[in-house]
Amino acid sequence: MEIHVDKDACVGCGLCVKDCPMHVYELQDNVSVAVRPNNCMGCLSCHEICPAQALEHRGIYAARRHYIDIKVCEMLRKVV
Amino acid sequence: MSAGYIDEMHEAFHSDLVYRSEDIPLECSPKPRDMEHTLHGVMKLNGLVIRSLEEIAGRGANAVTYRAGKKFGHEVAKYFQKREDVEGALHELSDLLRGQYSFEVWKPEDKETFIIEENGETFIYLVFHDCIVRQTLRRNGLDQGGPLCQTLFGYVVGAIEEITGRKAKLEIVHTGPNACLKKLVLK
Repeated sequence: MEIHVDKDACVGCGLCVKDCPMHVYELQDNVSVAVRPNNCMGCLSCHEICPAQALEHRGIYAARRHYIDIKVCEMLRKVV
Repeated sequence: MSAGYIDEMHEAFHSDLVYRSEDIPLECSPKPRDMEHTLHGVMKLNGLVIRSLEEIAGRGANAVTYRAGKKFGHEVAKYFQKREDVEGALHELSDLLRGQYSFEVWKPEDKETFIIEENGETFIYLVFHDCIVRQTLRRNGLDQGGPLCQTLFGYVVGAIEEITGRKAKLEIVHTGPNACLKKLVLK
């Protein structure tokens, strides 16, 4: 598992540090650093909680997603 | 209601297909892609049932759904091969849940084995990846870890108990949008 933190984007709020049950992240000089990437089980709640969208995971298993509304997808396809 | 509309309706349910009683359907009908609306309908319905159950029964809702899941787990797993080893039981369970849930055994990097002994209890970490419960909850904007998760908990516990003949307990360690970490405590 590879975790990349965009140092320019990270605001140092520490939410990922508090949220991760496996203590993957630590704040160093007000920036989040993935110090234990091998402890990451890929839940991606850090992605959901990060206000700066500064995180990137590589080599992750993406779970199936059935929850996105078909009508919303159809509308988005027209716009995007 | 106009006659034209009624004819149109009858037309929609009429075909020239010849169906014999000995015909065995070899594939799902309609195709899974066409079932997407149905799936969403079922997910919405499940979400509504769970939300109402929580409103009426409060914390008691967890006990009801856990019990229902556990009973189902016992029922389903009684046709599976009985095994004493937990690894084998988890393998059986993985077959049992295929298509609805997928999970793997997991350990933090400082642990040497998947079966962990800590503070007088023996447990295994399970990471659930694909999970129809999570999809349903997120589809309906409900919190994870509530009564609907308890059905899955009960299901896993019931199945493990049935396969191994040992008492078990499942605890939520963490929930996320892509995976959830659970702790299977063996007694």
